[in-house]
Amino acid sequence: MDSRPLMTMQVAVAGPQKIGAVPLGTRVTAPIASGNFEGPRLRGKVLPGGGDWTLLRSDGVLELDLRVTLETDDGALIHMASFGLRHGPPEVMAAIARREPVDPSAYYFRTTLRFDTGHQKYAFLNRLLAVSSGDRRPDGPIYTIHEIL
Amino acid sequence: MPLAATAPSPEDGKTAMHSRPLMTLRLTTAPTQNIGAGPHGTRVTFPITGGSFEGERLRGKVLAGGDDWTVKRPDGVLELDLRVTLETDDGALIHMTFEGLRDDGAPGSPYFRTTPHFETAEAKYSFLNRLLAVGTGKIGADGPVHVIEEIL
Repeated sequence: MDSRPLMTMQVAVAGPQKIGAVPLGTRVTAPIASGNFEGPRLRGKVLPGGGDWTLLRSDGVLELDLRVTLETDDGALIHMASFGLRHGPPEVMAAIARREPVDPSAYYFRTTLRFDTGHQKYAFLNRLLAVSSGDRRPDGPIYTIHEIL
Repeated sequence: MPLAATAPSPEDGKTAMHSRPLMTLRLTTAPTQNIGAGPHGTRVTFPITGGSFEGERLRGKVLAGGDDWTVKRPDGVLELDLRVTLETDDGALIHMTFEGLRDDGAPGSPYFRTTPHFETAEAKYSFLNRLLAVGTGKIGADGPVHVIEEIL
């Protein structure tokens, strides 16, 4: 797989909405309060109002289903959807849950992303798939996002 | 929780993107079902009649009965939405789906990429439940061929 850096994105999560035990696992929705992204071809901020609809499966894997709107520094709006998986040794996942700093190489946190925009300058985003590697820091996740070439 | 004015750089190497081969998937298809122009674009369904997959950790055949539900968007990009069942050579069934894009007009060479997901109940293959993957597709003489890599 060949890839190249697309952007680094950091988001801040507002108070989680603990839906609780549902037929497929334990569902927690994390509203996105703010954020920013920066890469060679685009940069800007994450608008409030998105969220990460997470589902902790019975096998211990956390499924991530993130949707946010990005606003570039020149005013374009970009819809971003990211589906991911997060899992690791129980003690590592417990430390993340306690919002302690954890080495991101100690667990698996990867997502695949799609973008949609109506802005011509960023139309290249409509035509690519991307992958990200996540780092769940105490104040919110950081995603290193690569375009799949 | 305050954020820095710009996103911080990740620690070098900690979040670099790596992959390793998972399998090569070969599909055979029946004549397409041309649904035609719909609200999302031109919809064409490719019935999957069979195929094979082969990698270091798993190999077997593709069962008949899956499909790739494709939509050609107004901008010329084909959206892919595939579901198939894989059967390993030792009898495990694996549910596989992917979304993808095929842009035959991409500069340089066609862009044909997918993000497969797997589900299985077989303990031997449960590692598939816990990984994300990326496929690079091309159209071979006998049908589409996807080289699929695990995202590490």
